[in-house]
Amino acid sequence: MLLLVISMLTFGAMNVLGDPLFNILGVTASATDEDSLQKIEAAKEEYNLDDPLPVRYAIWLGGFVQGDFGVQFSEDGQPPVRNLIVERLPRTLSLVILAQLMALAISLPWALWSASRADSKADKVSTVGAFLTISIPNFALAVILSYILSIKLGWFPLVYEADAPFPSRLHAMILPAFTLALPAAAVYQRLLRTDLITTLQEDFILTARAKGVSRRSILFKHALRPSLFSFVTVFGITTGALIGGALVVESIFLIPGLGRAIVEAVLREDFPVVLAIVMIVAAIFVLLNLVIDLIYSLIDPRVRR
Amino acid sequence: MTDLSTHMEHGQANLLADLGQMPAQDVTQKGRRLGIGFWLAIAFMVVIVLVAVLAPWLPLKDPEKSYVIAGERPPYSPSWQFWFGTDQLSRDMFSRTIWGARISLTVGFSAIAFGMLVGGSCGMIACYFRGRFNAIISFVFVVLLSFPALVLAILITSLLDRSLFTISFTIGILSVAPVGMVSRATTISFADREFVLAARSLGARHPRIILRELLPNVVIPMSALALLGVAVAIVAEGGLAFLGLSVQQGITWGKLIQNGAGRSDLEDAPWIAFSPILVLFLTVLSLNFAGDRLRSHFDVKETAL
Repeated sequence: MLLLVISMLTFGAMNVLGDPLFNILGVTASATDEDSLQKIEAAKEEYNLDDPLPVRYAIWLGGFVQGDFGVQFSEDGQPPVRNLIVERLPRTLSLVILAQLMALAISLPWALWSASRADSKADKVSTVGAFLTISIPNFALAVILSYILSIKLGWFPLVYEADAPFPSRLHAMILPAFTLALPAAAVYQRLLRTDLITTLQEDFILTARAKGVSRRSILFKHALRPSLFSFVTVFGITTGALIGGALVVESIFLIPGLGRAIVEAVLREDFPVVLAIVMIVAAIFVLLNLVIDLIYSLIDPRVRR
Repeated sequence: MTDLSTHMEHGQANLLADLGQMPAQDVTQKGRRLGIGFWLAIAFMVVIVLVAVLAPWLPLKDPEKSYVIAGERPPYSPSWQFWFGTDQLSRDMFSRTIWGARISLTVGFSAIAFGMLVGGSCGMIACYFRGRFNAIISFVFVVLLSFPALVLAILITSLLDRSLFTISFTIGILSVAPVGMVSRATTISFADREFVLAARSLGARHPRIILRELLPNVVIPMSALALLGVAVAIVAEGGLAFLGLSVQQGITWGKLIQNGAGRSDLEDAPWIAFSPILVLFLTVLSLNFAGDRLRSHFDVKETAL
């Protein structure tokens, strides 16, 4: 339902505001000479451009559901959009997944550590640190990190090479992923720390402590799970934000992923490509929300009814 | 429409997450004082805004003029003559950064003003009247939220033009849904209070109740959100700049940073990217900090009621 509305809006906007004819042929629809008029007629025939908008939408949607995303207008020979997506999507996905894994790996220990010594000096310093980290825009962080780690220290390559073997591609992916992960980790840490502190004040923690359960065991076995609830929600929202952030970070680190594809497509007004990417990203987003609902029932049995 | 209700729950979950992010612990300790950090942040904001507004009358170097020193190749490093150094065309980075503030701040403030006006009022009205109207507006918000923000921005800026107005408008549209969600949540907490009931039983009409009774209560917490929103909007402009989709005419912080972020420039002349990054970071930081303090400040009064 939601996806349907999004697809209609995007499709409508692209058709009303753009001029697909111009992108296919490189001539405007107002051209008058005999030759281009013929071409225009042929193209209209081929892409059903003469049909009213709803009909074209139905044709496109029918194809899209079956995995046929149309052809790229701007490329020679008009290869199917599908090829481009299949090539680019895994890179963006792996970037986002890697970033989320890093963010988890950083934020969970960080939050546990700071919640277990709430309001100590070290905790205050780390809270300020988290706040500073949140305030760095991702593109600025990308510039700073690539300056320090790539140029000054030379630990990471600056350019992602698509043909390189897997280990070196992974190596080139670390810095962009870390750029995305750091602010996300700070957001998680802030949230989880607050929730953990609230949980630690509950009665059942006191009971556990009275029974002589060790601090470590209280933190990991008793306090962590009930504190994860809003964390999971924010995790989902952040993933959406990270997909957006990935577009920017990709273009800074020159990773040929979906982000670069959509920017190029937009600049060349290649609208089947834009449409396909918008739809795929939105679909991932909606699916993600579904998965999060499932995770809720995993961490909180009360949700299962 | 079956999945509408589940998405509404998502909306609610988002709000819960927002509530969860509020630093509950800090509230009880720091009490009602905003603290010196808040006023420092405000002071920095005032200075930046003043300098940006007064830029044409301040004794600055011309941001578009090349100040070539005979016998030396630009870019020049920071010195007494060029406080922040110069860029590749030996233009003064200090005055360029200040001139960049003009467009960046305009985008930030006008986008959020738009979001507050449209999103804020929609959220309030939706919550006040409930029923079908509420359902429709919530659905619109959910559709807007499920577009990855940056993708929507790319879409709009590519279909329209890249004037200052379009960019601000685009980012404004993006802010409508999140602002509306919060305003709806804030209104919910007031709509059932006794004073609304009292006003209604005294014969007050809907517009009067909304404007005179609800609005003053909602505006204050929303002002904290506005500060946070301006920071996000300024960052969003920067992100667009890195994709080559920011305001075409004039200087913005995003464009300045992007201009210095190339590999060889970072290596030889890091100050080209780092001076605007520093100012951008400080601005975003003070906006975030002031917004955050305001938010916890007003929550105290909420709970004290």
